[in-house]
Amino acid sequence: MKETKNITMPKLSPSMEEAVLVAWAKEPQEQVQAGDVLFEVETDKVVCEIEATEDGVLERLCFEEGDPIKPGQTVAVLRA
Amino acid sequence: MEGLRHRGLNGNSCRKGDDMEKMKVRYNQNAIDEISRLIQQLNLNTVCKEANCPNMGECYRRRTATFMIMGSRCTRNCRFCNVTCGPAETLDPEEPMHIAQAAGRLGLKHIVITSVTRDDLPDGGAGHFAEVVRTVREKNPDITIEVLIPDFKGSRESLDKVIAAKPEVINHNMETIQRLYEDVRPQADYQRSLEVLSYVKSKAPEILTKTGIMAGLGETEAEVFQLMDDVRAAGCNILTIGQYLQPSPEHIAVKECVSEQQFESYKKVGDEKGFSFVASGALVRSSYRAEEALSHEK
Repeated sequence: MKETKNITMPKLSPSMEEAVLVAWAKEPQEQVQAGDVLFEVETDKVVCEIEATEDGVLERLCFEEGDPIKPGQTVAVLRA
Repeated sequence: MEGLRHRGLNGNSCRKGDDMEKMKVRYNQNAIDEISRLIQQLNLNTVCKEANCPNMGECYRRRTATFMIMGSRCTRNCRFCNVTCGPAETLDPEEPMHIAQAAGRLGLKHIVITSVTRDDLPDGGAGHFAEVVRTVREKNPDITIEVLIPDFKGSRESLDKVIAAKPEVINHNMETIQRLYEDVRPQADYQRSLEVLSYVKSKAPEILTKTGIMAGLGETEAEVFQLMDDVRAAGCNILTIGQYLQPSPEHIAVKECVSEQQFESYKKVGDEKGFSFVASGALVRSSYRAEEALSHEK
């Protein structure tokens, strides 16, 4: 049975209302390891590279580059 | 320093311009969760979280944090700082032991301890500071300890208490150049802060003294050089300079996003003026990679 996990957008600062997806560092169906940079977002203050917290295959990317993302929204789905 | 490029100014933070890049940081939820759990279990505060530091992800990943003692509420209300002001909290007598335990559990080789400013306490909290230093040392004999202290309203008795606990580094941040004190740090005094540095050095030459300033508040290069001369005259060994970022729209605005070349120039001039270590760059904060400044000394 395959187990999936939603990768959600963290709230990177108290003033952050949304972040813009700058770029994906990985492609759909790509194998990733914990610590790999998955994607890059831009907030009101900084550009932030978000790392994978576990190993798996990126089953689905939910946003495209340039899209705004709110904290808590699912950005990608990872299959363990 | 790949990833520290940023230019341009739009409103109140260092925003991305048409062809410009913002500061880049890394974020790892696991690292944040692990350190946050430990901090919470031991009922501690970190300046990382309270100041909303952009380096939190990187430092937590490297299993380091800067502890903020004597509560999370500050009796001053500096216009650059994100730490909450408000009625002071009762000192936690368990805090020295909890900080010592956290240092042990994180396996820290170097610890940075700072505090809110406690103008309400007779000694400004210096006795508690000293107790934390002694307890951390007792439980972690090999650790090096850096304290980032308030001005204790210039009280020599208070400074004596901290000096007697023998931390390796005593940091007192000047925060900005003299002309901007009224706007940025209205409850502080430039001369008093200089005297904190010079008094520590005169009483305990073996303790490394350190200070830091924020850049981007409207200071000129000449004013920064003057500050360097002033703190060198006070015997200060280590200098940190980093870009000020506005924690919220209520805080003092960013006047300028200082260029990478300017930060490099500050470092070069600081080295020439005789500091033993200068960290100057957009993302530099007073305790960012603090252990590197110390290893430079050895």
